[in-house]
Amino acid sequence: MDLALLLLQAGGDGGATAVGLFRFFAGFLLVITFFCSFLGFTYWISKDE
Amino acid sequence: MPIGNLDVPIIGKNAVIGILVQTHILFAAFIIGAVLIAATSEYLGMVTKQNNYERFARNLARFVVLLFASGAALAITFVLALVTLFPVFFSILQNIFFWVFLVEAFMFLGQIIIVYAWYNVWDKLAYRKSLHVVFGFIAGFFGLMAMTMIDAVASFMLTPAEVTSQADLVARSFLNQTMVPLNMHRFVGNFSYAGFLIAGWAGWRYLRTTREDDREYYDWMGHFGLLWGFGFLIMQPVIGYGYLKGIRESSPDSFNTIMLGDKSWVFNLLVIWIAVLSIASTAYFVHKLRFAVKPSETLRKLAVGALGFTALFTVLNIIPANADLVPQIGLVLGQGEDTTIPLGSMYPWKYIGLIGLMLVGFFIVALYLKASANGFHWGRASRWSQIALMSCAFFVVLTMVTMGYTRETARRVDNNPGYLIHDCVTLDQKLVSKHCPTEPLTEGVGE
Repeated sequence: MDLALLLLQAGGDGGATAVGLFRFFAGFLLVITFFCSFLGFTYWISKDE
Repeated sequence: MPIGNLDVPIIGKNAVIGILVQTHILFAAFIIGAVLIAATSEYLGMVTKQNNYERFARNLARFVVLLFASGAALAITFVLALVTLFPVFFSILQNIFFWVFLVEAFMFLGQIIIVYAWYNVWDKLAYRKSLHVVFGFIAGFFGLMAMTMIDAVASFMLTPAEVTSQADLVARSFLNQTMVPLNMHRFVGNFSYAGFLIAGWAGWRYLRTTREDDREYYDWMGHFGLLWGFGFLIMQPVIGYGYLKGIRESSPDSFNTIMLGDKSWVFNLLVIWIAVLSIASTAYFVHKLRFAVKPSETLRKLAVGALGFTALFTVLNIIPANADLVPQIGLVLGQGEDTTIPLGSMYPWKYIGLIGLMLVGFFIVALYLKASANGFHWGRASRWSQIALMSCAFFVVLTMVTMGYTRETARRVDNNPGYLIHDCVTLDQKLVSKHCPTEPLTEGVGE
């Protein structure tokens, strides 16, 4: 998997590559996932008071 | 001793830093904004004797205390990742900004101590309310100071000035050209972001709750949050303009990349999010005016007119300058850059759009505040008005993430090479200019 991604990146010309797009969307998804999970967890531990 | 060049499988080390920092900032900005909003609310409760303010301030303070752990843990993880994945770059930054980082750490410590104390002595200081309110504002102040320190570093990375003498060092490193506008942009943005999130949360709770008193409270909370959110949002075009002007003067190629070049689509995305925020907020205000204790048909008609103008101005902001929409994924219409789109140019249309949006925003907020002076009938808001609030919360998160990406990607320019510190340190941590400031800020003091 890693090798395939590296090969894809090496073939790029500095513009967007498949691996770049993958990282863009994966990064965005992870930011939103972490944010919502931590926020949800904080609400969950605070709501019983 | 050689320094290893570690990478992270699949996601890559650049994205790891981006993910950690973006998530951290979503918490940090909320905490700074929320502490100041809660302290202000507590003060308003003390002055007006209205229970909603006090209830809201206390609940928000408790939530912030609990949320602190997530924000702080992400900050530490981010620093750990930076030291490990970008050791040379981190050393250079530490060398220049050692004292700034140290002050930031102590401001952070001060914020934690005071926020915890503020929440913990809420009952003990019930009869010394003024003193207690001061605790909240001091906590907010520490948060703002911590933000100021890190803004010096973040702005420096995009607009470092050439340093030719020791006398230049502080002025051109700490007070680099975009430090003050970035700090102002984030100061105002904290309130707006936290306000929209609070409003969205209130909308969600309003729709879920079955108790009448809770419905009234959450209806009020949505109104209060949105006033902060939209009230501060409409200041951003002027401050954002100042920030972009600083970038254009200090790093013109970065400015061109995000405003005119291959990455201008991120700015188009940004104005789409702001369009949704503006229209949803204005529509909420129009709806709410129906429930004013002293209804005024004239006010409502003016507000409906303002909604129309908001829609018009946001459309002006959204229209792209040419058909080269998102070249990275091949979204290019017609002849690409050569196909100009009517009403899409920056001058005069975008300026008209941004200034118009601000003026109409101030107008509608003024109308709404005038109606608020006599109060509203709480608990009667419609379902869609609460969905508008929830949309604001969703789109303000997208706005934050998009803006963060925009600032950082501006340093890549054409990726030949991309920079960590613009024109100074490349993405693979090579120092490329002998005039780059790499000396400690205190070096040469007293000479």
